[in-house]
Amino acid sequence: MRITGSARIAAAAPEQIFRLLLDPAVLSKCLPGCEGLERTGEDEYRMRMKAVIGAVSGAFDGTVRLSDQKAPQSFRMAVEGSGRIGFVKGEGLLKLAGQDGGTEIAYDGEVQVGGMIASVGQRLLDATARMIIRRFFTRLSEEAGQ
Amino acid sequence: MIPQNFDYAAPSTIEEALELLADPEAKALAGGMSLIPLMKLRLAAPGRLVDLRRIAGLREIRQDDGALRIGALVTHSEIESSPLVRSRCPLLAETASHIGDLQVRNAGTIGGSIAHNDPAADYPAALFALEAKVKVAGKGTERTLPLEELVVDAMVTALEPGELITEVIVPVEAASTGTSYQKMRQPASGFAIVGVAARLEKSNGRIGSVRVGVTGLGPSGFRARRVEELLDGTAGSDGEIREAAAVVAEGVEANADLHASADYRRHLAQVFTVRAIRAALARAS
Amino acid sequence: MATTVTKTEPIVGKGVRRKEDPRLITGTATYVDDIEMPGMRYAAILRSPHAAAKILRIETSAAAAHPGVVAVFTGDDTRDVGPVPCAASLPGLRAPEHKVLATDRVYYVGHPVAVVVAADRYVAQDALDLIEVEYEPQPAVADPEKALEPGAPAVHPEWPDNRAFTYQHEGGDAAKAFAEADVVVKQRIVSQRLIPTAMETRGVVAAWDAGMRTLTLHSSTQIPHLMRSLVAAMVGMPENRLRVVTPEVGGGFGSKLNVYAEEALLAWISMRIGKPVKWIESRRENYQATIHGRGHVDYYELAARKDGTILGLKAKIIQDCGAYHQLLTPAIPTLSLLMAPGIYRFRNVSAEIIGVFTNCVPTDAYRGAGRPEATHCIERMVDLLAAELKMDPAEIRLKNFPGPDEFPFETGTGLSYDSGDYAAPLKKAMEIAGYEGLREEQRRARNEGRFLGIGISTYGEICALGPSSALPAGGWESATVRVEPSGKVTVATGTSPHGQGEETSFAQIVADELGVDLDDVEVIHGDTGIVQYGIGTFGSRTLAVGGTAIHYACQDLKTKIKQWGAMLLESDDVRFEGGACVCNKTGKSVPLAEIAAAAYRALKLPPGAEPGLVATRFWEPSNFTFPFGAHIAVTEVDPETGQVEIKRYVAVDDCGRIINPLLVAGQIHGGVAQGLGQALYEEAVYDENGQLVTGELMDYAVPKATMVPHIESSHTETPSPVNPLGVKGVGEAGTIGCSPAVVNSVVDALSPLGVKHIDMPLTPEKLWRLIAKGGQA
Repeated sequence: MRITGSARIAAAAPEQIFRLLLDPAVLSKCLPGCEGLERTGEDEYRMRMKAVIGAVSGAFDGTVRLSDQKAPQSFRMAVEGSGRIGFVKGEGLLKLAGQDGGTEIAYDGEVQVGGMIASVGQRLLDATARMIIRRFFTRLSEEAGQ
Repeated sequence: MIPQNFDYAAPSTIEEALELLADPEAKALAGGMSLIPLMKLRLAAPGRLVDLRRIAGLREIRQDDGALRIGALVTHSEIESSPLVRSRCPLLAETASHIGDLQVRNAGTIGGSIAHNDPAADYPAALFALEAKVKVAGKGTERTLPLEELVVDAMVTALEPGELITEVIVPVEAASTGTSYQKMRQPASGFAIVGVAARLEKSNGRIGSVRVGVTGLGPSGFRARRVEELLDGTAGSDGEIREAAAVVAEGVEANADLHASADYRRHLAQVFTVRAIRAALARAS
Repeated sequence: MATTVTKTEPIVGKGVRRKEDPRLITGTATYVDDIEMPGMRYAAILRSPHAAAKILRIETSAAAAHPGVVAVFTGDDTRDVGPVPCAASLPGLRAPEHKVLATDRVYYVGHPVAVVVAADRYVAQDALDLIEVEYEPQPAVADPEKALEPGAPAVHPEWPDNRAFTYQHEGGDAAKAFAEADVVVKQRIVSQRLIPTAMETRGVVAAWDAGMRTLTLHSSTQIPHLMRSLVAAMVGMPENRLRVVTPEVGGGFGSKLNVYAEEALLAWISMRIGKPVKWIESRRENYQATIHGRGHVDYYELAARKDGTILGLKAKIIQDCGAYHQLLTPAIPTLSLLMAPGIYRFRNVSAEIIGVFTNCVPTDAYRGAGRPEATHCIERMVDLLAAELKMDPAEIRLKNFPGPDEFPFETGTGLSYDSGDYAAPLKKAMEIAGYEGLREEQRRARNEGRFLGIGISTYGEICALGPSSALPAGGWESATVRVEPSGKVTVATGTSPHGQGEETSFAQIVADELGVDLDDVEVIHGDTGIVQYGIGTFGSRTLAVGGTAIHYACQDLKTKIKQWGAMLLESDDVRFEGGACVCNKTGKSVPLAEIAAAAYRALKLPPGAEPGLVATRFWEPSNFTFPFGAHIAVTEVDPETGQVEIKRYVAVDDCGRIINPLLVAGQIHGGVAQGLGQALYEEAVYDENGQLVTGELMDYAVPKATMVPHIESSHTETPSPVNPLGVKGVGEAGTIGCSPAVVNSVVDALSPLGVKHIDMPLTPEKLWRLIAKGGQA
């Protein structure tokens, strides 16, 4: 599944957003359901996540890896997680650009989903993925505003 | 296809139900048409089910102050066949008749459907077009809010943990109002790939009080206000209808799945908006 | 002794209601899941979420320690069980070893990895969640054409080209035919993977009797006898100590013409734990781990003269085998090859099959098994040729059929079509549909900008499988007909009906032969403990082969009955008629019940006779039978949405002599529904990583009753010379005839846009895109 799109954060310049995005404390607050990021290496974290979407819930264990950092314009983020209800593996490029005092974040990535969520969640995968992204940026925006 | 262990309670009053639902592990069960399949797949694993179906008073449909008040536990087939709904709010009855299949309509409830907020559910189209309100009860609280405020995102509502929908309030329509629900069914599930509900009035050859509700297209159902504005006051010519419908998907992040791409859904939204408006217009007098 | 004989009216040919129905519609039938036994345990199977992965570690201790869990087994425990059998053999066939549980690798999503046995199915399911498997995912390939590309991930590392087999056939001189042709049409045609979706999923109950050292295996299957032989071999026990019982079966469509890992696994577990054990497949497992059907990408070329005479065919058939061969996987496309020329006269055929491994569940027989794919291709090609030559699709077909006097007709693929009058059903279908009027209506519709289409399919099929030379297990069938001491009749058939209604049609045959009431005939089947060995129900063979065995057993029985009648009537000139032996000289008669009583009392025996009235026959046909027919679909495509409406559906089928028109109608209706499913709705979709994304009925669209149009069903009756009943078989006809009729119709509807071919399923979005782009794919 290809996921592309963009989000605008009004109150913060790319330099600040870039810093926030690379801060594990901020990331763990912004990722919906994230119960903590534990540093395991240079730009590598172990993640525990409990995703709750409506009546659906599932726990995931996984990793987050950041690479190709070109502050403050872009970096790559790779996320892997697996749990009883399936697994998710994704990698994408995030590009930041200043715009009217705010930041435009463009993302473009490829997500692979397997297990139960792939075989029975087809109808809602896309809508759910985009909802998680929306929530992520809403919270990032809140963080940036503080 | 076997759920995890759960406790089960079947309270007989709303108060008891709210007491039980204060437990964060508890989950309300209405018709079970969405929750039970999720539990069987173990995608949902509530510690306790609070079965609302024995609560008296949640299964009534009554007319009151120019509105229909529909209990949250009223099933789709009850709405479809209720003489009161059919005569006073035919759009809702028509929409209910398009839901899933007979078994789903016999068990599924309007309150359950709204609370689950599936992006492809049929009701939101009609309920947005009807500017429905929802009555919500919590422990020691009660509030009534427009559907637009209740619906947040795909599968997400503004219901607080432990809150229950108790009633859905829709206006009583004048007999002269024209309404229609038009939908493309997803062939496997029967959900709406796109569904559009229209209501309008016609006087002196002009269309007025247009309301258009859309489901299936975006993360949640919504009211297509731009379409309404463009159509209001027109004579309802084919060109005017098409021009209004053309904007229905503007600004909406369209869903995509195996059955329909985002492009196709946007296109269908226009087609079914045209059809719903035309059909409503033909029924308005 | 009576002197009058009641002449009963023949019941063969009458649409009597099914004897099976009362138990089915009152919920009193017994399916595998209805079986309960003292001390029974329940199994649940852990399956791979990956399409390809190495198994690095399996940790079962937490599951094993879970309260209520009896045992947990992995591939390490079951190394000596199996392998899962493939009965088909082709030269050079690569057959990967197919263990009942994965050992070091998994090859498709749904691959069984471990099994939990517990006190109840809830506990078993809970414990599955406690098993930890560490996988190392590997690249996977799910598309058969991509699997053939150089550098594609190897499904089985030992065969990096992913080729399971290749098979070639040359009939006549295709090269010459193509050289002499005025016109050649070419097309790539996909017959997508389908999920059989029997209403009842698979299920097994295995019960080991430690005292008797016997094992009883209850399984929802189409082939109880073959299963006994094969499972006995898989678990290493003598087959005479294994009994397979097939209770009511809620649909198979070929998906239960198989022996799966679970049957041997459950047998082994029961022997191991000394308790009965049950496993019932969930729908999700059914979609992931029961065979799929079709899965073809075919490249066809048809050569013809400009007058429409077809000269020859070239075909390349790419069969997606999946990760393993199940019982008949490699054999299915060989049926496509045999049927490739359809029912046309040309004999120049050059065809090749390439079997391809993919990281998907295996394909195998699904209603029609190879013939729908072949029919779809040739019927599309004939329409493409008609379009190229600007000929009417009916006219070009009528021009290329062999005449009724050309039978037996030898085909370019080595078959001998038994009997046929191919023009008859087409002409009849055109008459019912009002073909000329429809074309007129189409012209008017086109002037209004509407997309109205008329599609014809004229199909033939290979049925009544078959001579033993054509089937790995033998192509015969068995029957025992027994007149009980009271005169009631018991029929034991080696076939295994599971919804087709042969308890009724067989009883009709026997009632007429023995002059008894339909209700006095009981047909038993599906229990290897009480029925003589047989082959089973598949390939539209049950009536034509199994029914014929019954017919011959009745003839043997009548010879015996006449011996006893002659003795009782003290005459040497008797006939058997209307349920009694009649003396041709005196007219005196003795009814069957009295004869039976005498035969079992056996105070006095006719010369050379034995006590009792039983006859058993094993009968092998000399050839297949070849039913045929013509379907016409009238469709209209909504230009705004791309939705297809079936406005008319006419089916004229010739299945030889009809024993019970009601059963034939039921088979046609069900068959057409499944054909429509393929044409319009169904597709098993694996994503590029091998995840089955149509994993439930929420996303896999089988047609519901409201999605199936009224079917105008009619028949011609051309008896088969292969069997004395003259029957051919009808179980798969509707499916085979349907999909090309619908696709031809929709292509015809969109032909003003220049559309020449569309691959199935004809989803609204696919058609909308074609329309929006003015016919350009």
